[in-house]
Amino acid sequence: MTKQRNRRLRAIWIATGAAAILLYSLAPLCWILIASITPELKADVSRPWMMNRAVTYFPATPSLQNYFELFSNVPFALYFRNSTIISTGNMLLTLLVASLGAYGFVRFRFIGRSSLLIAMLVAYTIPSVVLLVPLLVIFRAYGLNNTHLGMILAEATHSAPFVLLLLINYFSTLPRELEEAAQMDGCGPISTLWRIVLPLSLPGLVAGGLLAFIMTWNNFLFAFLFTSTNNVKTLPVIMRQFALGEPAVWGVSAAGALLTTLPVALVFLLFQRMLMSGLAAGAVKG
Amino acid sequence: MSHTAEAAQPARGRRLETRRRRRIDWLPYALIAPIALLLIAITVYPTVYAVYLAMTDASLLRLARAQFIGLGNLVRMADDTVFLDGLWRTLRWDVAVVSLELAIALPIALFLNQTFRCRGIVRAAVMVPYITPPAVVALLFCYMFDGNFGVINDLLVRVGVLDRYVAWLSDPTGSFWVVVSAMVWYGQPLMALILLAALQTIPPELYEAARVDGAGAWRTFWHITLPHLVPSILFLILLRTIWMSNHIDMIFVMTGGGPGFSNHTEAVYSFTLTNQFQIGYASAVAVVLAIMLVAASSLYVRHLARTVLKVSA
Repeated sequence: MTKQRNRRLRAIWIATGAAAILLYSLAPLCWILIASITPELKADVSRPWMMNRAVTYFPATPSLQNYFELFSNVPFALYFRNSTIISTGNMLLTLLVASLGAYGFVRFRFIGRSSLLIAMLVAYTIPSVVLLVPLLVIFRAYGLNNTHLGMILAEATHSAPFVLLLLINYFSTLPRELEEAAQMDGCGPISTLWRIVLPLSLPGLVAGGLLAFIMTWNNFLFAFLFTSTNNVKTLPVIMRQFALGEPAVWGVSAAGALLTTLPVALVFLLFQRMLMSGLAAGAVKG
Repeated sequence: MSHTAEAAQPARGRRLETRRRRRIDWLPYALIAPIALLLIAITVYPTVYAVYLAMTDASLLRLARAQFIGLGNLVRMADDTVFLDGLWRTLRWDVAVVSLELAIALPIALFLNQTFRCRGIVRAAVMVPYITPPAVVALLFCYMFDGNFGVINDLLVRVGVLDRYVAWLSDPTGSFWVVVSAMVWYGQPLMALILLAALQTIPPELYEAARVDGAGAWRTFWHITLPHLVPSILFLILLRTIWMSNHIDMIFVMTGGGPGFSNHTEAVYSFTLTNQFQIGYASAVAVVLAIMLVAASSLYVRHLARTVLKVSA
């Protein structure tokens, strides 16, 4: 009797807790989804006091009008393209340098190994605030301001060391025997890396690459400071313009915010498990 | 069987390693060179340059005529109320964000550590705020807390807490708490994830033993769960304090540091100065902030180094 009641109490407790967590985590995004499909009230000239629209919990006539306006009034597609180019470029650069470096650190013992590794960690902990000004000056001098390449390099200041750490952790878990067998069979170190280590560490590479992509996609700071033309501006910069009320149509901003979140959310849902273990390593910057 | 394998392995490994070492000594350096050169170019050199700029009165508009003024910027800081008040604002921001993140993440982690149906879905949902781009989070909270058509005002008025709409973001205290709530919403999943990982390493036998001894839920938490979490909690406080002190995005996108200077932490102040082209002084503020965080940062580096060297040993 009591056992059954206890079980029912537990079920209620679990349901309440889960509901509270879901509400807290998802409600803001649901709210912006609703805002994005709420058609904007046209200002009524005969009743100017109705300029402020009331809070609509669900639109009477949901429509995608805001999304169409987003692409026709704001060069949203261009910003989306820029974010994609910069994030993908950063992902590729980061994976290339970090996987080579991680392999070097994990599989070889050489003079200066631990000091080099610590130097990289120190470089990783230098905050973006310190790097902003010098990078701005250097980029101006080398014509890297307002270029995709400049943005890719700036973002690598945090993504490259982060992915290096992640891949060092990952490569260390791989059994050494396979590599040794490959070397017995006459594989050189580079072809061992290419044929044995990289295929085996695919989950680690996917996690590292996607986290680099997400970090770059989400970062506001460098994008705000190093870009001034529409040809390079990324999505987070536009969010700042939206927050300042430009264009002064919340529904359109909401649509833009949602489309900015969508790629990251999809990537996360598809590769959830790999990404979570990468994040749980606890070395995230920012 | 397994004994012979174990005995044979080190010998074979050593032989391979000595051969490898003698023949291709340069290889590890070549492998590390790309990332090392990249970091020298985009991190090490800029850092040195930042320290140099911090000792000049450089402006982005007349960079060539920058004068070396040594510690002159420090003198300027000593008289600068925005900088001096910024110290307190930075501390207030750190404490508010980090403690609230912990206060929300810990119950969530404890909840997720139970077994129940649909746990995977709830756990994925918990991570959603963290993968939302911070600039989007900022926009989202601006929208919800808007003075004219914000949903928060509407709900509070309906429930009866407020009798009229409040312009949250135009008020120094109000805007501070709105930005904090946005930051906490965005940041707490990472804490929950790391705390959950720590919770899962607690051996179940301990709980079994506590139950046999007749310990209640509260005493079990206090004597078993919490002590196991302390290292993770301390690490998270360290990590988040460092990054919150350096945080700019959320504050700047939501408020631009205002109204007035009310949300100017040191990092935001440095950013504002940069946008005003006063790059010498901006660097000085950033470098001073970094120096104030040196103790915390070196603890963090030591922790990372220890883990990474152990893992790859």
